[in-house]
Amino acid sequence: MVDAPDWAPELRQRLTELLGGPVELTSMRLLAGGASKEAWAVEAGGERLLVRRAAGGVIHADTLPLEHELQVLEAAHDAGVRVPRPVGYLGELGGREAFAMELVEGETIGRRIVTRPELGPARAELPRQLAEELAKVHAIPRDRVPFLGERDVLERFESELDSVGEPHPAIELGLRWLDDHRPEPLEPVVSHGDFRLGNVVVSERGLEYLLDWEFAHVGDPREDLAWPLVRAWRFGVDGLHLGGIGEPELYLERYAKLTGCDVAEEDLFWWEVLGNVKWAVGALTQSRRHLSGRERSVELAVLGRLAAEMEYELLDLLERA
Amino acid sequence: MSDRPTAPELVEATREFLEQEILPTLADRRLRFRTLVAVNALGIAQRELESRADDQLSPDELAELARRIRAGDVPEGALKLLKRHVAAKLRIASPRYLERYE
Repeated sequence: MVDAPDWAPELRQRLTELLGGPVELTSMRLLAGGASKEAWAVEAGGERLLVRRAAGGVIHADTLPLEHELQVLEAAHDAGVRVPRPVGYLGELGGREAFAMELVEGETIGRRIVTRPELGPARAELPRQLAEELAKVHAIPRDRVPFLGERDVLERFESELDSVGEPHPAIELGLRWLDDHRPEPLEPVVSHGDFRLGNVVVSERGLEYLLDWEFAHVGDPREDLAWPLVRAWRFGVDGLHLGGIGEPELYLERYAKLTGCDVAEEDLFWWEVLGNVKWAVGALTQSRRHLSGRERSVELAVLGRLAAEMEYELLDLLERA
Repeated sequence: MSDRPTAPELVEATREFLEQEILPTLADRRLRFRTLVAVNALGIAQRELESRADDQLSPDELAELARRIRAGDVPEGALKLLKRHVAAKLRIASPRYLERYE
C-alpha cells in the first residue's frame, strides 16, 4: 500500500482486535477538511471505515478527547440520531488518539449544499430534518454521557481571547453586550456543540448524518438552535437566515412540537451574537496553532485574518440590537 | 530601496504561479483546497503590501480600547469607530465579504 502512514501496522492490529479476525488494510487515504482532526478513509477486511485521529492541538480548550467523543457518538446512535455507525476506540496511533466509525457518502461542503441545483429538494427538507435531529440530540439522557461538562457560556472566552495575545476590542464589545443582556436560562440539555451545515452529510433526500461531536457539552438548548443561523454558516446565501437554506420558522416550530420547548426567532438573537463571538475567538485561536508551531498549516494561519469577518458581523448585529 | 520586482510584485508572481500552473495539475481534493487557501493568503499579503494609510487603529489604540471595554468603560462612539477599523481590515483580508452588507 503506497502512502500509508507509519502507524498503519498499529491500526491493523487494533482493527483485528475490534473486528474479531485478521484484517488487511487495502487502502488508506487522508480526506479533505477537518481543521482539528484528521480523517482517514480506510478499507479493511471488506469494510469501509473512517478513522478519526487527533491533530496537533485543539481549537477550544474544551474539545472532547476522542474516547469521549466516541462515547457521545454511541449515545447518539442509541438515541436514534442519524450518525455514522460507531465501530470502536483505537487507542493511540502514532502517539495520537483515534477511533473508527462507518465511512458514509454524501455532501458535507456547506457552499455546495446551499447552491447546487440538484440539492434543491434537500434544501426544502432540511429545516424540518435539522429540527428533528436536534430534538433527538437534546433528548439524550445526561447520565449516558456523565463526563460532559456544563459550563458558563461566556466564562471561557475572555481567557481564550487573552491567550491570543492581540487586542480585539470588537470582540470585547460583543462580550460586554452579552454579559449585560444575559437571557433567563433554560433547562440544560446534551448539546452537539457544532450543529450547522458543514457538519451534516446531505444527499438529494436531505439530511443523512450528523457528524463532528467533539464540542458536545451540556448547555442551553438555544446555543445549538441558533448556531446554524450565524452568517458564516449561511455560506454566502445570507438572505436565508437558517444556514443559507431556509427561514427559521418551520425549524423552530418543528423543534417546539417535538421537545415542548417553544423558542421564538427573536429569542435566538443573543445566541447568534454569542455564536459570532465564539467563531471569531475560535478562528483566532486556530491561527495560533500554526503560529505557535504546534501545527503548521496555511489553512489555520489564514483564519487569523478571517476572524475580521465575524467581528464585522458581530458589530453589525450590535448596531441593530 | 530594492530592485524590482517589489515585494508585492513577487507575492503576485507567486500567487499567479500557484493559481495558473500548479492548481490545474492537482487532482487530490485536499491539496486543491489547501492550494486555494494559499492563493488567498498571498492575495491578502499583496493587498496589505500595496495598501496606504487608512482607517485602521494603531496597536496602542486597540489595546487601550480593548482594556476600557473590558473594564466596562465603553467610550462614546466605540461601535462606529470599531466598524470602520474592522472594515479597513476586511478590505485587505476579505474585500468581497464587505459587499455582502451592501
